[in-house]
This record gives sequence, C-alpha cells and structure tokens, in this order.
Amino acid sequence: MLVLPLAARAADDRVIFNRDVRPIMGEYCFACHGPDPAARKEGIRFDREEGFFGQREDGGPTVVKGNPGKSPLYQRIIATDPDDIMPPPKEHKKLKPAEIATLKKWIEQGAEWQAHWAFIAPVQPPVPAGAAAHPVDAFVRERLAAAGLKPSPDADRRTLARRVALDLTGLPPSPEEVEAFVNDAAPGAYEKLVDKLLASPRYGEHRARYWLDAARYADTHGLHFDNYREMWPYREWVIKAFNRNQRFDQFTIEQIAGDLLPKPTHEQLIATGFHRCNITTNEGGTIAEENLANYAKDRVETTSWVWLGLTSNCAACHDHKFDPITQKDFYSMSAFFRNTTQDHADRNARDTAPVLAVPMGEDAKRFEAIPDEIATINAKVEERKKAVVAEGAAWLATVTVEEIERAAKADTMLAQFALNEGKGAETKGVVAGQEQTAKLPEQIAWKADGKTGPAVQVGEGTSIDLGELGDFEKEQAFTAMAWFFRTEEESKAPGSIVARMDKAEDLRGWDLFTEKNEIAVHLVSKWPGNALRVVTTDGAAKPGQWQHVAVTYNGSGKAGGVQIHVNGVPRKLKVETDKLSASIRTKVPFMVGRRGGGGEVFTGAVQDVRLYSSVLSAKHLLALAELPDLRTILKKPAAERTPEEKQRLLALHSTDDPQLKELEGKIAALGQEKAAIQKRSPVTHIQMEKPNSQPMARLLVRGQYDQPQDELKAGVITALHKMPESAPVNRLGLAQWLMAKENPLTARVTVNRFWMETFGTGLVKSAADFGIMSDAPSHPALLDWLAVDFRDNGWDMKRLMRLLVTSETYKQSAAVSKELLARDPDNRLLARGPRFRMDAEMVRDSALAVSGLLSPKIGGPSVKPYQPTGVWEAVAMPESNTKSYKPETGEALYRRSLYTFWKRSAPPASLEAFNAPSRENCAIGRERTNTPLQALVTLNDTQFVEAARFLAQAAMQAASTDPKATLDFMARRVLSRALRPTEVPILEASQTALLAHYTQTPADTTALLAVGETKPDPALAPPQLAAWTMVASQLMNLDETLNK
Amino acid sequence: MNPLTDFANLQNRRQFFTNGTNALGMAALATLLGRDARAESAHPMQSALQFAPKAKRVIYLHMVGGPSQMDLFDYKPEMEKMYDKDLPDSIRKGQRLTTMTSKQARFPIAPSKYKFAQYGQNGMWMNSELLPYFSQCADDVAFIRSMHTEAINHEPAITMMQSGNQLAGRPCLGSWASYGLGSANQDLPTFVVLVAEPSNREQLQAISGRLWSSGFLPGQHAGVAFRSKGEPILYITNPPGVTTDVRRNTLDGIRALNEQNATLVGDPEVHTRIAQYEMAFRMQASVPDLTDFSSEPESTWNLYGPDAKKPGTFANSVLLARRLAERGVRFTQIYHNNWDHHSNVGGRMPSQCRDIDQPCFGLIQDLKQRGLFEDTLILWGGEFGRTIYTQGRLSKTNYGRDHHPRCFTMWAAGGGIKGGVVYGATDDFSYNIVENPVHVRDLHATLLQLLGFDHHRFSFKWQGLDARLTGVEPAKVVKALLA
Repeated sequence: MLVLPLAARAADDRVIFNRDVRPIMGEYCFACHGPDPAARKEGIRFDREEGFFGQREDGGPTVVKGNPGKSPLYQRIIATDPDDIMPPPKEHKKLKPAEIATLKKWIEQGAEWQAHWAFIAPVQPPVPAGAAAHPVDAFVRERLAAAGLKPSPDADRRTLARRVALDLTGLPPSPEEVEAFVNDAAPGAYEKLVDKLLASPRYGEHRARYWLDAARYADTHGLHFDNYREMWPYREWVIKAFNRNQRFDQFTIEQIAGDLLPKPTHEQLIATGFHRCNITTNEGGTIAEENLANYAKDRVETTSWVWLGLTSNCAACHDHKFDPITQKDFYSMSAFFRNTTQDHADRNARDTAPVLAVPMGEDAKRFEAIPDEIATINAKVEERKKAVVAEGAAWLATVTVEEIERAAKADTMLAQFALNEGKGAETKGVVAGQEQTAKLPEQIAWKADGKTGPAVQVGEGTSIDLGELGDFEKEQAFTAMAWFFRTEEESKAPGSIVARMDKAEDLRGWDLFTEKNEIAVHLVSKWPGNALRVVTTDGAAKPGQWQHVAVTYNGSGKAGGVQIHVNGVPRKLKVETDKLSASIRTKVPFMVGRRGGGGEVFTGAVQDVRLYSSVLSAKHLLALAELPDLRTILKKPAAERTPEEKQRLLALHSTDDPQLKELEGKIAALGQEKAAIQKRSPVTHIQMEKPNSQPMARLLVRGQYDQPQDELKAGVITALHKMPESAPVNRLGLAQWLMAKENPLTARVTVNRFWMETFGTGLVKSAADFGIMSDAPSHPALLDWLAVDFRDNGWDMKRLMRLLVTSETYKQSAAVSKELLARDPDNRLLARGPRFRMDAEMVRDSALAVSGLLSPKIGGPSVKPYQPTGVWEAVAMPESNTKSYKPETGEALYRRSLYTFWKRSAPPASLEAFNAPSRENCAIGRERTNTPLQALVTLNDTQFVEAARFLAQAAMQAASTDPKATLDFMARRVLSRALRPTEVPILEASQTALLAHYTQTPADTTALLAVGETKPDPALAPPQLAAWTMVASQLMNLDETLNK
Repeated sequence: MNPLTDFANLQNRRQFFTNGTNALGMAALATLLGRDARAESAHPMQSALQFAPKAKRVIYLHMVGGPSQMDLFDYKPEMEKMYDKDLPDSIRKGQRLTTMTSKQARFPIAPSKYKFAQYGQNGMWMNSELLPYFSQCADDVAFIRSMHTEAINHEPAITMMQSGNQLAGRPCLGSWASYGLGSANQDLPTFVVLVAEPSNREQLQAISGRLWSSGFLPGQHAGVAFRSKGEPILYITNPPGVTTDVRRNTLDGIRALNEQNATLVGDPEVHTRIAQYEMAFRMQASVPDLTDFSSEPESTWNLYGPDAKKPGTFANSVLLARRLAERGVRFTQIYHNNWDHHSNVGGRMPSQCRDIDQPCFGLIQDLKQRGLFEDTLILWGGEFGRTIYTQGRLSKTNYGRDHHPRCFTMWAAGGGIKGGVVYGATDDFSYNIVENPVHVRDLHATLLQLLGFDHHRFSFKWQGLDARLTGVEPAKVVKALLA
C-alpha cells in the first residue's frame, strides 16, 4: 500500500481525518471496534462519528476535542499497563510513534471528523484554473506543482504512436501507420490517430479482454469434470458492445438484467451471460442447496467488485469488518440472483439451461425473419378460417350422414372388425374386401354399452387372435385404429390394445399400447437398441370413457413419421427411442389385447378395429372418430343442434381445407427451418427469471448453506443510496440502482478501472476496493471530475478513453531520472508517461502482429493454438471432455489471444506465465510479475519461435541481402522505430556469430526452421534465415518490446 | 507481519507523514517487495521467523480421493462382529451424507477385509498385508487418527486441505511456505508440484491448477508444476536447432540492448528483466541435471523400488522430491490419485498401496541417510476419510466406502515431528472422534509452527485484513506431535 498525501493541503501540519487518521484506525482498531457487531468489543465502533464523540454508557466520549489528555482513545494508546494498552498486546499490533503523534495532533487540532469519501456521491470540482488546457492535465499539474515537480516532455512521436495503438487496440501500429503519424505535421494529427484507433474493430477486442477478466469468462465449467461450456457468443457480444460504444449504463443493465427488459432482444439476452460465467459443478454427491448458495455468493461478490468497488465477500460470513455492508445486506443482494431458472448442477453439458441458441451469419438473418413470416401466414390462416366458417354455415344446413360416411371412407382399408356381436364364439369382419370370421376366446365377455352396440371385453386369457393381419414392414405406411374403454381400475395396468409383436423375439413387430393415461406406439426390430417408441405426453388416454385412438405411420423408419390421434385430434408426442434400422416383420398373429408370445395384457373393452395401408388424412381420422356421435346429431333438425354440436360439425368441414392445409404446411416448414437453425447454431448461457416467483434468500449463518435463517427479501446495501422508487424488486431494479445518479461508487470505480488500464495503476490503487480500507486516491478531485464527467456525458466509454489518451499527462515521455524514480517510484504523481509490461495477450498478439502471422478474423468459437502436450492431461479427470488438448491447424493458430480456449483448471499455459488469471473468480486488474518463466515462454514457445522466423522471412524478402535493411525492417515492425547507431553493432555481431553457427551446422538450421506449422520460403538461404530468426527473437525479447 | 512488510509500512508511513518529500529508499523497496525474485531470494526472510524452525522444507504427499482410514491405519477389530449390521443411529447421529449414499435403504457395516498387526516400539496398528515396507517406519512417523474437516466432496475438501478454505481463491500451503521462507536456490522454483500417475486409474478425481495457485499472495509464490511427460518445466527446453551456445549468444545481445535501454528509460524493471533472463538460462542448465536420474546409485533403486525408474510414477515423483529437497526447494507437493474407493476397495487398495508403500519407506530412509530427515517435513494424507458402512454391495471380500469428513488418518515424519506417536482416537466404528480432534486448521497451524511461524501472526494484507492460512476460526498447534 503506497499512500500518498491527498491534493492540496489546507495547512502544512493540518491533520486530515480521511487522509491521516482513518487509515490508522483501520489498521489497528477496526477489527474489534468496527462495523462487525460480532467482533465488536465494549460496544465501541470507530467506523462512525459517534464512536469518537458519542456519550458511552460508562462514561464520556472516547475523544474530547482539543484535549488528548482527556481523550480515552489517546490515553489507552499511550498506556503502559498491559491491561489498558490498546491495541491489546496479544493482537501483536503496536502503533508507531509517528502514528501516535498524528492522533494526538488530530485531537489537539479539534478532531474534525469526515465520512469516508467514497460513500459520498461525487460532485464535480472545478478544473484548476490556468494549469493546463486539458482537464486531466490541470489536476495532475496542480498536484505536481504542489510537490515541486515538473511534467516530463512529450514522448517522441514513434513511441507515442506505439503506446496509443497498444492502449486502444492491444496491437502495435504498422510501420506505415507510425510514419504517417510522424510525417503528419497538421495540428490535430494525434487526435486523428486516436480517432482512427478508436474506430478500429480491434478496439472492442482489446477492451473486451479486460472486461472478460472481470466477468470471469472461460470455456469450461470450472469444477470437477471441468467440461466444455459454450459461452463464446457472450464474448462476441462484449466485443461488439465496446465497438459500437454502447453506453456504460445500458451495457450494465443488459448484462445484469437483459432478460427483464421489455421484449428483450437476442442481444440483450446474450448479454445476461455475464452472470452465467461463474464456475459451476456437477460433482456427484454435492448438495444442491450448497451449490446454489455458492453461485449466488459469487454473483454478489462479482457485482460488488466490478460496479461498487466493494469487498462484499467479507460479509458472506459476518458483517463487514470495515465497510458498512451487513451480512443481511449480502444475502438480501444474493436474493436477486437466486430467482433464476438455473439448476444447481451443470450436467457436465455444453448447454446448461437456460441457454439461448445464437444463429450466425445467414442463419441469423433467417432466424430473425422466420417469426415475421410465420405471423404473416398465421394472419392468412385466421382469415381463411373465418371464410371456412362462413362457408360452413351454408354447409351445416344441408349436410347429411351419408356425406360424413363418405368422408370417413378410405379405399386403402385392409381390414375391419366391428367386435360388436354381443354373443357367440365368432366375430365377423372384412379383410381385403372379403368377409372373414375369427374365433373368439371361450371366456369372452361383452360390455353392453359399447360405442356402437355391445363391445368385446378383453383381458387376461381373453385376448383375441385376428390372424394374418398387420404384417407391416418398416418401409410401409399404415394406419391402425380402434375404439377402447377402460375403467379407472383397468387403466392401472399397461397393455397393448392391438399388436402384431413377438415378445419372445425381442418384441419384434409393432403395437398400440396404453400405459396409465398415455398411449404409446412401438415399432421394433430388436428392443431396445433397434426400435422406435413415441408416447403421448398430456394424459391422452382417459379412463371411464370411450375413446377413438388411431396411429398413422408414414414408412420413414423415423419416430417423426408416427402420429397418434385421439378422438380424431393429433396429440403432442414425446420421442423416447428413435433408432430403428432393420425389419419389423414377425410371424406372430395380429392380436387384440396383448402381444404375441405373451406380454402386458390390456384389460378393457374394444370395438371397431381397423387397419389401412396408408396414412389417413386428418379429415378421414376425424370423420371416423366423430361418425358415431354425428349420426345422432344429424338426426336432429339443424335448428335444434347445440352450438357445441354445430362446432363439431364445422370442425369436420374445415379439416383438410386445401387452402388451410397449404398455409399450415408452410408454417410447419418454417417451424422446421427454425428448429434446424436452432439445432446447428451455437448456444450461449443466459439468465432467466423464475416465473411467478419473488426474489428471496435466507441469511446463512457464517456463510454455511446448511444454516439458513429467516427469509430475506431482495435488497441492496442499506448504507448506500436507496433503490429508485420506480425500480422493480428484481435484477433490473438492482441494475438501475447500480447506475443511479446517487450511486457514489459506480462512476468512480469505472473511470478508475479505465485509468488503471491506461496508466498502469488506478487513481485509487486498490481498484476493486473503494471501501474504508482502500488506498486513498492519488488525485481525488480528478477522480471525481472524471466520474461526474463520464456519468453526465452519457456514460460514453470511447469519449472517456479519448479524454485519457489525449492528455499531455498520457503523452509524456516515460523516461525517468534517478531523482524522480526515488521520489515517485510507482509514478503516482504522474510526472512521466506510463510504461509497464504488457499483459499476456498483448505480448502474444504483438509477436503475431509484428511477424505478419496474426489472423484478422474477429469473433467465433474459441480456438486452440500451440501448447506443449500434457498441460490439460496432467490435471483433467479421465471423464472430462476437455481432457486432451489438441492444437488446431491453420488460421486457428494465429488468432488473437482473447479467442484462445480457456480451460479453467488449466488456463492457457503461455498466458498464465504472464499473470493471466484462472478466470475462476472475478479479477479486477492483473499482477505484473517479472519472472524467468516468462522469459522461457517468449524465447522457446513454438508460437514465438515461429513468429520470429516469419518476421525474419518478411524482412529478408523485403530487404533482399542488405543486412542493415533487414535489421531496420525488423526493428520498425517490433519497436516502431529505427535502431539507434549503438544498437546496430550488437545485433550485427549476434547475427554474424549465428550465421556462422547455422552455416556450419545444417542440422540445427533445418531443425530451427521446422518449428511451427508454416513452411519457410524456399527462396531464402536457410542458414541466413535461421540466423535472422534468432535475431528477430532477440528483438522480440527486448524489455522495450514487452513493455508498452 | 514480517520485517519486509513492516519495512514497507514504515516507508509508507514515513512518506505519508512527510508529504512525499522523503521517498529515498522507495526504489529499493519496490524491488524488495516481490518484484525481483532474485532479490527476494537473497533477502534474509529467516528473520521473519517467529520460532526457531524445525523444518526447512516440506514434502507433502496428498492422496487424492481420500484413503480409507479403517483399511490402513485405524484398526477396528470390533467391526468383525458387526458385519452387514446396520450402522447404529447412535453413531451416525443424523450427520449429513453425500447424495451418493444418502438415499441408500441401509447402511450395513463393512469391516476391513485386511489383517492388521502392531509395529514399532509403540505397537502401532497398521494393515499388515499391504504395507510391508512402510510398516517398518513406525518409529519414525506420527499418526494423527483424529483428523477432521467440514467438506464432504472432493473439490471443496482438497481446496480446504491445500488452502484452508473450501472455496477457491486462497493461497495454498506451498505458496505460504514460499512467501514465508523465500528461496534457497536461485536456479529453481521455491514451490514445486508433481502429479503422480497411479497404476490403477479406476476413479480419478480432478486436480486443478488452483491447488497450487498463490491466491492473493504475489504471483511468484505460485507452485511450478513439474511434468513427468515432455519437458519437466513448461518451455524450459530451447527450440530445436538452438544450442546452449546459440542461446548464450542471443541472451548476450538481449542483455546488451536492454542495458542500453535501461540507461535511456531509467526504469529499474529493465534490470530485473535482465536478471530474470539470466535466471531462466541457469534454470535451463540446472533442470536437466535435476531430472537426470542416471547418476543415482543402485542403492537408490533398491530403496525406492523399480517403479522409480518409470517417469510419472509415485516412486519416481518421490525420488524427484528428494532431489528437489537436496537442492533447496522449499515445498514439494505430490498428488497421487485414485483413492476415491466408492466401490471395489478390495480390488483397488492393493495397487494403491503398492504404488506408495516402498517409495514412502524409501524416502524416509533416503532422507535419513543424507542427513535431511531432521529438517524435512513429510506429510501424508487425503482430503477426508471414508465411511465404515458400505456404499453399494457388501461381501466379506469387497465393498465400497463413501466420503467421510468426520475422521481420517494422516501421518507426518521428519522435520520436527516426534516419531512413534499415535495421536487422537475414533470410536469403534471409525465414525466419530472420541479423543483429541485435529481440524485441518490445526494441522496447518502445526505445519506453520514447524516452519517457524506463529499462525496467528503469519499473515498477508488483503482487502484490509491480515489474511492468514488458518483464517478467522480457532486453530491450535498440536504440541503432542512435536519432537
């Protein structure tokens, strides 16, 4: 923690509470005298003003203004008696003499108290007059002047071109871009360059990369199997959002609650993936409630870090020790995130619901167009239906039973058995137009009130063998039907109404089957591996009534070719098995009431069994089912028929209306097209609110899922501003609260993050913590000015970036003198320009860019570039589908690093070496270590060696045989500048020695040039190319190259 | 607190109080504050120690999946009579089970199928069928039969064992050790991780990079995974066609250019980078020597067994751990998988024990012979124990066991541990602890004590708190284990 004095001081020795006193209290006192009541001793809390000046139960205030001698706070600190001294010796925290002196002076000066600055909404301060034209510079220079420092001169134009290109696009500029800028003497040349870079689609990629750390984006679930999770459309959304410069408030609202916006667009739903990026598990034995508690916890923490700059995670187990976040606040906030439809386990699936299919390219256009097309046709359907009704009114007056009978008649009938004799040992039927009889079982019973006359009552021992009927092959279309009736009791046991199926031969054949309230159809070659089975889903079979059931099958061999109609109406079906590929013919006879060779017995009454050799039309089926009732209805005079009876007649009339059929066919085709697009499209994980459910959560004692307390309604941190009156109590309301004007944190936290990305360190160094224990801002007035400016100017992110990089502060040279370095090693005062090691992705992308290998492609699924073997294998479970890493070939090897497949339990190895996070948790800002493992990556990784060779090759191709020109070419690509005279001999000497080695050792030459997938240009002399490759590698490993 | 952070705080305060006018020494501080691994490795971290350290380095053998304590070390002869009887409610006490067995209709007791015998001067009970080598070490090791944890599933339990918290994101033990002790070798990482391949791979658990993450500690304290296949350290090998001479040549050029640049920009980080490139070169030289076992005498192979010659085996990893210990690596973590015996204990336990038996024995003997046993702490154990009742089918010769966090056995040896101790006891069912419970945090506190740190005070400033390995819940040093 580097604490710098705040801006202008009132007087040199004036002690300022927020700057001087609060940090001491935080360090030594808050743990026992802070906001956490559980840890609080003696009821004293120094996080509030009352703690200092309020009357205590057993005495006066802890601080008497102006009088340290009467202030217990001071007396306890300087006490010598171990029983009195504060902090107690067992805490091993001893105030330093200077700190004690500060507290004393503060009291002497009147003990002026201040609320923590970050919890007070920012007010835009005036820009200091006269110091500079640019507001950033005005604040920075005022501060520098107070410190007796002067700003550095501008960086030279080449350095500046490189810096600003890297900051705005993550990529170095091409030598041509650099020269164009260097040679542009017009005023505003720099601003022109900035605007060009801001307009580049690379801008969005680069900004997205930072955001994805905060969003903990990755391509696997994270825990246990750590399987693939399809999430990249969200990444694409982030890139696009930055490129189209979406307002930050919208950007926020859509990510937190896009699904709750009115009529959310696809894009708004994709945005909600932000909170689907958390790690999830499917470990066997885990407890649902525990997982859900962990997911919600992660979401509260992430939201707090990213927007509020608060370490709310502390409040998961107890009230926050320092900041005014209660444990109740934490769980109230978690309620917002516990009201979604996401399950506790990720099923190890790529698509853990809720997900959204995201059609790409042409598919996306069609996918968007189809609903409108369907709506248009639907309108026509409605129109036509009205016309049919109108026509039907006339028809109703004249319709006759004969007409209905004609409608029910189909000339593809194979067989019909009425089963309504009511007595006797035989039953009569028609088979292939000829009358035929079949024997009835001896015990056969009759149910008097059949659908038409008495009906056979089949059951155990009374199934009926109808002989050689229904011997269908799987290529053959057919229709089978019957009337059936079961009592409640009879409906309990499953059984075949009709079947030609051999139980003894793996159920080969087909049947129409009831099981409780559903009807199933089986077509089987060998159960279960070679069969299809579909079943109704909505309780189609009802006991206690006669129902007409018909199955049609189109001979396709697919479950989709089967339809079940009940009472003439097609039912919704579930496909349970769809794996039929061989013959279904069997020798057993056609049975009513059970399968051949035994099997489940159907108990109930059956009538009018029919078989057809075609798929009957809907009209046929309806007419057949309706015929018995319509006979009765039609006997009545037209005027006496009830509206319901008229409706039934009309339904028959409108069925199979050719125009309606055509329109419905079109709708079905569009529906299929849509489904096909959906099926082949990538998915992305989204948030969906539970319907009819209020957000609620329980406080978990010490954060433990199995110790829930009373229900809490969703709510925000109570010590901050209130939720807007108009805001709904759900995630949308939370998002509105985050972006509310009264919010003291979001704008500050956000501009600070942009500042950090550009200048290396935030104005508040602890970018994820603006709480009481945060680092004091180096330029508080500048921070507030920027925050208000950002908020009041449409949350315009490009405008903010432009503001930062067009300041003189940004443009300064980064060179630092020993004196300045000693004075301000971390450049918090900004007397020089930013210079720091680039992040992992920039290091790799720059190498690809300067070599000419970088693919320009934007977006798409994650790719797998080079990686040493075994990185995944070493950690992955054998069952994981991200167990073995196989590098791809071609373009995938050269994509920008933000597209690299991110497996959370083994992040990309070369990126991890440069402090890329694991993406298991939200990460605000990265570490910047400087380690030997990093040197090994840029020296030895195939990616970098190949890039060096490619750069060398390009240089040789461009410069023919002039070594100086070759060197110059490479330097301009890598460093954006020509080499200095003192640098040239060093590289020439290297090159000479390397050339000697590779000339003498052809095997090494061949080996080196074979690194990577691309082939070297055969026109170039191999030893030369090898030597220049290593020189290119030298340039690419310079500290200057690795720094922006 | 350690003197370095004290120093830093002091500096901060001083600067704070003097309005930034007295910032001398800040450059040195910036370098000391973990930016420069070399500088840190050279700094006298030892003075941060709060006790005289007993262990200078640690070799932690983590048995991933959770070995069955009652089949190895927690002898329960009473169970013989209880075969296939239900676990009494008085023992289970309604404690939670994993959802893998919570739906079981019965919880029939599965007595260990193995014979036990007593070993060493204190008559320690151990499985006498599967540990012919290790059982000879009874007088060198201390058994903790009363380990317990809260986590009931692997991910959180391993994370708890390694970082003191069930959720990912905290520094792991090795990182704390690296942070506290610094490096004793400028050519090798301070904290090394080896993932050993078990010979049976029936039910492996995930081992992820988060288990050697430095969490909120600076990145250089993260573990470096040495690999058994391919290069031992990622990217350590020069590209094909790049000899050591070529590498030296290129590095000389890089260095000369960087030095010029350092003069121009004045950024001390440039010098750090120069130093790190040199360390990379030294690592390249030292790692092949480290991993080349050809100089090991025949006696080594006799000690560790023939498997030690096969890359990636547990025996091979343990031998590498000894070589790392010799070279000053502070913390070597070995993961050995496939101890998650939900079924087929009878089929899997023999090969698991064969994997570890002789190597554990070999390691102890070898360290003794080399005079390293005294100050090298060896820890062995899983993330939790297993249930006395069977998961799935039960027979006299085979059964499965579910996760059991309420008691399990670990052992420790060397580096300040009293040999021959048996600490803690469980009930007749190895289900509940009846004597001297040792929580994971207590183990951590004890480990820190052996390394010279008071777990209360060994901390790192994070989010305004002094974050500790042992967290905020109570933890105690198990004095009975200390020599």
